[in-house]
Amino acid sequence: MTEKFVKTERPWNVVVWDDPVTPMSVVVVIFKRIFGYSNNKCTQLMLTVHHEGRAIVWSGNRERAESYCVKLQVAGLQSTIEKED
Amino acid sequence: MAGNRLFARRRDGRVEVRLNEAGRTVAREAFGRVVAAERDPSHEWHAGLNSPIDPSEDIDSPVAALDRQHEISTNAELAYMTLNEQFLNESEAWAWLSTFQIALRSTAVANGLLSEEKLSACEPELMNFIRTIQQFLFGLAECF
Repeated sequence: MTEKFVKTERPWNVVVWDDPVTPMSVVVVIFKRIFGYSNNKCTQLMLTVHHEGRAIVWSGNRERAESYCVKLQVAGLQSTIEKED
Repeated sequence: MAGNRLFARRRDGRVEVRLNEAGRTVAREAFGRVVAAERDPSHEWHAGLNSPIDPSEDIDSPVAALDRQHEISTNAELAYMTLNEQFLNESEAWAWLSTFQIALRSTAVANGLLSEEKLSACEPELMNFIRTIQQFLFGLAECF
């Protein structure tokens, strides 16, 4: 009898950080454009950024996280990636 | 209020630019500075365009960094080339929004305006530039 192990990788998070100059409506528009989330989800994420200073906007494999992070930076938001704890 | 909007989405899908000459001069300055900053490592906005992707690494992936540089340059050059247009298509309007937002954040980073307190204490001329770009962004965001 052999034991099978499923190796699970911790996901990578895409984080967006708050700043004092970016209009809230712009953050919502950028989230909608890049992730295709609903208006409600984009607004909730934007409010999390605003109130908590940061929000995890996407999680998954590193390559896609890096790609989304670049798209957010190209749109002018402060974004980084981090491995989930 | 509709008559005072700086940008308007038309029924044919294009975005109408209603900026006067003074507004287009501010847009020219903002877009031109993003184009220059992407090319010049000593430009005061350059650091703001090259923030870390993965802060836990000493160096970001060169492919990701190049991709970012290419995309920012493409958007800024497209925005600059369409400065005098009355109507923008979808890609052009997105290039304007992205480049205004890059200009806004780069201004904040270059001047250390990373908190509400610092922002409210900044020079009037700088504040005026920031408020103007924010107004442009409010108007453009309504078109998406």
